[in-house]
Amino acid sequence: MNKIVAMAAKDIHILFRDKLGFFFTIFFPLMMAIFFGAMFAGLSRGPASIPIVLVDADRTAGSARFVERLETAGGLAIERIPGDQALEQVRRGQTAVLVTLRPGFGAALDNPFVATPEVEMSVDPTQFAAAGMVRGVLLEAAGAELQAFMGDPSRMSATNEQNRRLIEQVTPPSTARDDLLTVLDQIPRIPALIDEAGLGSVTAGATGGFGPPLEIEQTQVQAQRRGPTNSYATSFAQAMLWTLIGGSVSFSMSIAIERSRGTLMRLLVAPITARQLLAAKGLACLGATLFTSSALITLGITVFDVTPTSYPLLALALLCGSICFCGIMMVLSVIGKTEQAAAGVGWGIALPFTMLGGGMVPLFLMPEWMQTLGNISPMKWTLMAYEGAIWRGFTLSEMLLPCAVLVAIGVVAFTLGARNLRWETG
Amino acid sequence: MLVFDHVSKCFGDLRAVDDLSFELEAGEVFGLLGPNGAGKTTAINMAVGLLEPDEGVVRFADEAFDRDPRDAENRRSLGLAPQSIALYEQISGADNLRFFGRLHGLRGSDLEERVAACLDFADLTDVGKKVVSKYSGGMQRRLNLAVAIIHDPELVLLDEPTVGVDPQSRNAIFERVEQLRDGGKQVVYTTHYMEEAQRLCDRVAILDRGRLMALDTVPALIEAHGGPGNLVVRTGDGESRHETTDPLGTLAELQARQAVDHFQYLPPDLETVFLNLTGRALRD
Ligand SMILES: Nc1ncnc2c1ncn2[C@@H]1O[C@H](COP(=O)(O)OP(=O)(O)OP(=O)(O)O)[C@@H](O)[C@H]1O
Ligand SMILES: [Mg+2]
Repeated sequence: MNKIVAMAAKDIHILFRDKLGFFFTIFFPLMMAIFFGAMFAGLSRGPASIPIVLVDADRTAGSARFVERLETAGGLAIERIPGDQALEQVRRGQTAVLVTLRPGFGAALDNPFVATPEVEMSVDPTQFAAAGMVRGVLLEAAGAELQAFMGDPSRMSATNEQNRRLIEQVTPPSTARDDLLTVLDQIPRIPALIDEAGLGSVTAGATGGFGPPLEIEQTQVQAQRRGPTNSYATSFAQAMLWTLIGGSVSFSMSIAIERSRGTLMRLLVAPITARQLLAAKGLACLGATLFTSSALITLGITVFDVTPTSYPLLALALLCGSICFCGIMMVLSVIGKTEQAAAGVGWGIALPFTMLGGGMVPLFLMPEWMQTLGNISPMKWTLMAYEGAIWRGFTLSEMLLPCAVLVAIGVVAFTLGARNLRWETG
Repeated sequence: MLVFDHVSKCFGDLRAVDDLSFELEAGEVFGLLGPNGAGKTTAINMAVGLLEPDEGVVRFADEAFDRDPRDAENRRSLGLAPQSIALYEQISGADNLRFFGRLHGLRGSDLEERVAACLDFADLTDVGKKVVSKYSGGMQRRLNLAVAIIHDPELVLLDEPTVGVDPQSRNAIFERVEQLRDGGKQVVYTTHYMEEAQRLCDRVAILDRGRLMALDTVPALIEAHGGPGNLVVRTGDGESRHETTDPLGTLAELQARQAVDHFQYLPPDLETVFLNLTGRALRD
């Protein structure tokens, strides 16, 4: 054990001696965190089609018609699942927005004189830009729905008839009641009267007099649990991922360097086993990546107001992320035999996987097939674990999936790498 | 004691080491002399267990034990200075020594004592705290050697330890090797410089294309394979060379014929031994 620690300490010593390696493992990710954090804090993004989950709690012909209108309107990719699962999906960050059509939605849609249709939006707070766009699409659809209603005198008359009966049933005769009924009778004439007065262009699409066509209550999914998050919460999670990538590439290079500089030969001649050597490399990589990722998040917490939802889970996520990337390091060092090859292979593999895993562009902006493909990216699971502890408010059981995936990837990769690592020095 | 017993090693069609047998003796500096590609490094690598022989066996054996080179106990008792410098350039010379010392199980004050002794041995005490990348070639060579002996091994294998160093540093390395021998170590020393073998080695194995051409003490090799020496004389007619095994007799003969202004006797050396054994010069 003493020897393993000596070897690991030497590797870490060398890593931090190497200015360029140090830059890539910590300063580069840190700069990215600050840059993207600041950028997304003030930037709204405009994706082509935003995925949302939709729950129709009303289940009437009217609500179904509205959903159909949303689907054909474009701009949203709608998934419909049961309510409790839908909320979970937002909370885990799989979808940015949950739209719930409240009970009475359809009735209000068919009778705008009496009530305004109500929806509830549950929003992932880091994706407020997406939420704003969803809000726009909803309002537009509701407006179109109202216009269709107004443009159809027979529907208006039918509704009117219905309202008249309702009023007559529930209120005793009085002058106020009579006046109300008279006003009601005039309502279906409004569009015709507007036309007659030549005001068509001025009030085109007018919903005036009825107020907004849709009542939207927006709730932040995490805000219910704790204080507001900031955009640095996401960018620091990504930076921590980058430091893992940088660390694993550096360490895979360090094996190649030991080979080319001949020090591997000395290690092989020393009274240590190949197993101890591997353990030392793994330990060094684990120690270094744990240190750099912890250092980054500590900075995020102290300087940039990032407030993790759970420190124990954060520690777990940090550990599992590092384990995963130490395994990956071993595979990289098998593939890249020389320093240059190791660096090239390392970054060459890391970049597409990172992209796929949402390390560069948020996942929800990607086509669906790509998001599915993202599941094969360790980067995705790392981000999920980090974000789960930093701002998604994962519970321990929710944390288990990404952590188990990370540890599994780490162990399998380390074993595969260790088995295939060629020790020959020539 | 290191024993090679009919050892061969092939790389593809090439027999890098071909039926090599020898046995080290106590307290000797054993030379492996041969030109580039003779198989010296391959032999060393098999001796330390980095390569496995295709035929034959390499053993460490005496009355008390018989071990494989890969045996952990054995590894503690041997030190290798590889042909190409093998050091961590980013850390200091002392830290290199400290690290390899720890790998060999040294700790605490024992370790620090050994580090200081090895820095002193390599004449690097003043620069021990400097990073190795700032060392000159000669300093790195000396450290490369010092790292091999940090754990005070009984057998030290030096693979061309003087490659690329100036004559002064080379002399310093010779002195270190002699110091090791005087300290009771066994040394295996590979080189393609016959002067080095001649100066340092008690016994020399001459290798060519993987094969052992001859193995003996330097005087015995010269005696057996050196052939005649050369007497160079200058007379009024100019300079002439005469092969002879009896330089005094030849000189008297020549002087009887003509006055000799100047003469020089070039005795046979390992160069001539190699030439006579292989038909080729040691250096191209
Ligand atoms: N790993 C290898 N793969 C293929 N051929 C090799 C390998 N190692 C050595 N050889 C070949 O084996 C032969 C002996 O090489 P070796 O390095 O043992 O020679 P050497 O005597 O140490 O030479 P030098 O003085 O140049 O160091 C050479 O022809 C070399 O090309
Ligand atoms: Mg060699």
